[in-house]
Amino acid sequence: MECRPSDRVPFVPAIYEHKAWFVHSTPSVVCRDVKLFTEALLAEYESVRPDALTVGVDVYNVEAEAVGCKVRYYGEGDSSVPAIEPDTVLYHGEDDIGSLRMPDPSKDGRMPVNVEVAKNVVQALGKEIPVRGAVSGPFSMAASLVGPENFLMLTITQPALVHEVMKFCAEVIKQYATAFVRIGCGVVIFDSQSSPALISPDMYRDFVLKPTQELIRSLQTLGVNNVPLIVGGNTSDILEPYLETGGNNILCDYPANAGEFLARCSAARRAFRRNIDSSDFITTTPEKLRARTRECLDEGKGYPGFILGTAVAPFGTPLEHLLAIKTAVEEYSKKGSA
Amino acid sequence: MKELQELADHLINGYADRVAAVTQDLLNKGATPQTILNDGLIAGMTVVGERMRTGEMYLPEVLQSASAMHVSLKILKPHLAKDGVESRGKIMMGTVKGDMHDIGKNLVGIMLEGAGFEVIDLGLNVQPQKFVEAIQTHQPAIIGLSAMLTTTMLNMKTAIEAIAHAGLRSKVKILIGGAPVSQKFADDIGADAYARDAVKAVDKVKELIAA
Repeated sequence: MECRPSDRVPFVPAIYEHKAWFVHSTPSVVCRDVKLFTEALLAEYESVRPDALTVGVDVYNVEAEAVGCKVRYYGEGDSSVPAIEPDTVLYHGEDDIGSLRMPDPSKDGRMPVNVEVAKNVVQALGKEIPVRGAVSGPFSMAASLVGPENFLMLTITQPALVHEVMKFCAEVIKQYATAFVRIGCGVVIFDSQSSPALISPDMYRDFVLKPTQELIRSLQTLGVNNVPLIVGGNTSDILEPYLETGGNNILCDYPANAGEFLARCSAARRAFRRNIDSSDFITTTPEKLRARTRECLDEGKGYPGFILGTAVAPFGTPLEHLLAIKTAVEEYSKKGSA
Repeated sequence: MKELQELADHLINGYADRVAAVTQDLLNKGATPQTILNDGLIAGMTVVGERMRTGEMYLPEVLQSASAMHVSLKILKPHLAKDGVESRGKIMMGTVKGDMHDIGKNLVGIMLEGAGFEVIDLGLNVQPQKFVEAIQTHQPAIIGLSAMLTTTMLNMKTAIEAIAHAGLRSKVKILIGGAPVSQKFADDIGADAYARDAVKAVDKVKELIAA
């Protein structure tokens, strides 16, 4: 995962809300309960043996909630993923910028829950596997605070305000990420709201690049040398600025062109995670998944920075389906090194 | 008419105030609301759709244009009603259970209104039973289901099953859309059509209505 030659391709499936399934619970329950959340991560490790663990269930809500947005949690037995209540956004215009409160990661919202869970998992597994606390990227957090539609419109009508909100968000994230680093945990940044499905490459350069670079640089200063930056969707059009962020492993989601990522990441000596489409994870067969995995592995053949991942595994994905992908990765690696 | 081209241009540029002013001006000068809708707004949004498809425009610009269109439609609606311009059909839309994303759905809704359809928006996180009840109440020709997550797209299937279970499947056509879904997924869950963007959604609705 650090672009060094290895005996096998790392396997990093995107298991977030699906963690709850490993402890027979739901995302809304697990994400608020330190004990269950810890058990879910340990169970995920025992069952799937991925090459990295992510401390996060509903990864885009935590920072905005800590600032004051309300998150909708679902009742008993409902496996829906918690989400920001759209009518609780905090930022309605320039008068609101001063009223945004910097959260304290040790007190506000679920930040302390996630940091405590990370601490438990680092203690239990930190020597065996990288453990990473999930944080939002500044653009995604800002979209949650302002409301995605309003925020996207502001990029045109009030770009100066967007920069201000981004600055605030980057600072919140930095504080939260630092809390993870202090307990010996790594950090992974999620910023799919900055994907070209939503904003143009020029907008990415204008609004996203600098605060993201600064965030990653600040983490590197704290000694976190491997900072994955996850931007979903077809990111081929932002590949250059994506690399310029300094994230040393980036995402090549299933709609993106793996050939372009291979060429550019090889030249820049960066790792990239190629995702398998997860939209049929519940209904497909292990055989089909093995075949799809082999196709993906062929796309990065021989490159030491190639990581095999998945798009977000839906809650309830059968374990045998995740293991089919993992087995295919292992068999492929053995074949390759034979 | 020069002003109609002007209206389309302002719409493409997302200038809501100018779109409102030109719409009113055209009405004052005697242009029919149908002409303003077809030759100004729809003509403009067709260009927006094309530019989005080719990567010349991105979502923030498209939202600006859609917002401008919404302003103009508000002015035009009473005039369209007065002229007896009939709706081209009733379309019901909703983001499925567990999903709180609505940008795409809202965009499709505005585009459909602009194309002359009546739109009933059930909002976000719509339970399957709510779709069933709303079909019984409003009797739409088409339902549009939206989902943005791989984890919620499966609830499209649940909604379709609930509609079928209530004996209503043959009474409505079902169109799906959203980032993670595809034509294959639409086929797998028994939807009638899939649209990959807002412009395509309007085309699909027209096709389904005509079928």
